[in-house]
Amino acid sequence: MFELRVTPDWLLPHFPWEQHFLKVNGQHMAYIDEGDPNARPVLLLHGNPTWGFLYRFFVDPLTNAGYRVIVPDFIGAGYSDHPRIDSRLTLAHHIADLVSLIDQLRLRGFVIVGQDWGGPQGIGAALQRIERLDAIVLMNTWLYTTFNDKPLTPPWWWMTPQLPLAGSYFMIRNKWWSHGGVSRISKRGMTDTEARGYDHVFDETNSEQAVLCWPHTVPKRENDRGWGDFRNIEERLHELSAIPALLLWAPEDGNFSIQFAHRLKELLPHAEGPLTFDRAAHFLQDDRGPDLADAIVEFLDRKAGASL
Amino acid sequence: MKFINPAAEELAVLRDDPLLSEQEFDDMPEVAAAVEKAAGMRAGRVYWRSDHDYLYGLELADLGKGRPSMATVYGFRDRYEPRPPEHEIEADLIDFLLWLAEIAEGIEGENIKKLIGLAKKYGRCNTGWPEGSVLRTPEDRFLNLPGFDYEPHYMEIEGLRMAYVEKGAGDPILMLHGEPTWGYLYRKMIPPLAEIGRVIVPDQIGFGRSDKPVEINAYSYKSFARWMRKFILALDLSRITLVCQDWGGLIGLRVLSQIPERFGRLVAMSTGIPYGKGAGSNEGFLRWRHYAQRQNYMDVPEVMQSYSDRCALSEGEQAAYRAPFPSAEYQAGAFTWPRLVPIRINHPGNYDNYAAVKVLKTLDIPVFLPWGDRDPLKEGEGALRNIFKHCAPPQPIADTGHYIQESSGEEVADHIRKWIMKTPLAKR
Repeated sequence: MFELRVTPDWLLPHFPWEQHFLKVNGQHMAYIDEGDPNARPVLLLHGNPTWGFLYRFFVDPLTNAGYRVIVPDFIGAGYSDHPRIDSRLTLAHHIADLVSLIDQLRLRGFVIVGQDWGGPQGIGAALQRIERLDAIVLMNTWLYTTFNDKPLTPPWWWMTPQLPLAGSYFMIRNKWWSHGGVSRISKRGMTDTEARGYDHVFDETNSEQAVLCWPHTVPKRENDRGWGDFRNIEERLHELSAIPALLLWAPEDGNFSIQFAHRLKELLPHAEGPLTFDRAAHFLQDDRGPDLADAIVEFLDRKAGASL
Repeated sequence: MKFINPAAEELAVLRDDPLLSEQEFDDMPEVAAAVEKAAGMRAGRVYWRSDHDYLYGLELADLGKGRPSMATVYGFRDRYEPRPPEHEIEADLIDFLLWLAEIAEGIEGENIKKLIGLAKKYGRCNTGWPEGSVLRTPEDRFLNLPGFDYEPHYMEIEGLRMAYVEKGAGDPILMLHGEPTWGYLYRKMIPPLAEIGRVIVPDQIGFGRSDKPVEINAYSYKSFARWMRKFILALDLSRITLVCQDWGGLIGLRVLSQIPERFGRLVAMSTGIPYGKGAGSNEGFLRWRHYAQRQNYMDVPEVMQSYSDRCALSEGEQAAYRAPFPSAEYQAGAFTWPRLVPIRINHPGNYDNYAAVKVLKTLDIPVFLPWGDRDPLKEGEGALRNIFKHCAPPQPIADTGHYIQESSGEEVADHIRKWIMKTPLAKR
């Protein structure tokens, strides 16, 4: 039986916004929806192992600038349902989940802001509703299977969960990612409460399973799970050539070096940037949130505007 | 249940969803044995197509006991699109459980039947449209329609009210409208054709006087074809002359491929059954798609007048075309149609149309293609000529575009009437 998850009191000072729920593809998806409901909607999309909390520094600057801000939690993350079955958590599912949200909220002229898995999910969904897309912002993410004409070779630690036995066992047992995965690499040094903000959504036993099934779906070679989905996105990126795009990057990220941004720029040559942000690691929204939000507002005001 | 072998191309455009998972058979060996016998294996996947035309898979795992130990039912859906309404999936799963109960025939089977009974009784399985999920246009919007005073008839298809008008007697002449119109579009053609046959003009679900689900994912190419097929079967129509335009053809041609034995002639206008990079990928269509997807409320007369010459509509006629849609909430179907047209190889409708065309190419049905000479979908005519073996010579309709039933209804009806009179039905 589904229990509505409510933001605990201790977290409200950091995350005061009301959680809404919609049923997408048979699962409950949690999202916050702030700002003028008739303004241009900006979808802020997180990756793994985070949730909408990652974007808490973006909500006020964007709504103050007149935009409508929608921050969904992926199925399997945050306050959304956490299904236990790996095959419910593939990129194709995450895309279809977001498409369902876009349809149900009847979004028009929307903006995709994506980081980590939020990139392929957001762009994958935007390609399904491309006529309603007006701008994209990508941060430390990837949308391709090839890198400099060679197959994508992710850093070795992406593979740790796939190490035979030991890797998964070690990580599951210690909740290596779902607890402490964000705060461990914070450049700014977050408070214990903020760290708990990320971790508490994964307090249930076996939480690591959902978190670990993501890296398993990073396709390295043809026929890997998700390969076809990334190919589909990569081959259709040219359809975005008329959509204003901005790349924001934290080059100190151990997962997505600046090379990843350059490869995105090859595929989206019209994109602005990459604007780089130091003092930030993979979760740059947490390390440099207000600065990134300002850059996005400046870009959107210039290219799209808050009113529809 | 009839198991099938879906083509690899079809599976590639679908996403699987585990629906009933890890049903353990260890404490019910009779069921395991019966399932093994029915599936013809103890480990692996078998597939079937449901009453809703959806593909399902039963995955069996043998955990070393020499019989199936575990079963998972998967649903296969459009890869990046939301699932269809939950009640359709639930209804299909109940069908599966009934099948299971039937093949088991033992104590376990009875238990399964009891479970289903209980589930239905206590409403856990909602197999109908939930409150508020379907809109019905108020009747008073349809008062005083100029030139269309036919009494509407109603039929229920999958819990939705489908409306149609009919006139005349004899072999049926089934006329299907497309985007974003309704049966009213055929008003000038009904009287002349009713003199030679039984004219039946349904409103597609989401249009005209028919019910309009609010959820966008209630509408798919599959569901439109299914609704129309069920409509034809419910009226038990055969020896049909199918007259179709725009989405009426995308749907009608798909249905023709599914139940070809019921059709005797085909009249197709400004339509097609696109697949591959097909008709859908042309510039004009993409512009239309973009326009339609950005609209908050689609104004039907405006669309008609911009895509067809000589579509001067009186105030009353404009109101009649707007009648089905009091507000944007009523337009989920009209909004959805443009993006259901397959324009890419991996568009799920693409494979289904490809499979349909394979059947259509084998049919001996006579085909007539009246076509507006300024139709933006002009190349559609050639595409249909490549599919059908027995096409009548071209019949261009002068100085008009996409909505020839509106701009040139009497003229088109006259051509169709003459062609029907001299063209025998396809042999069955």
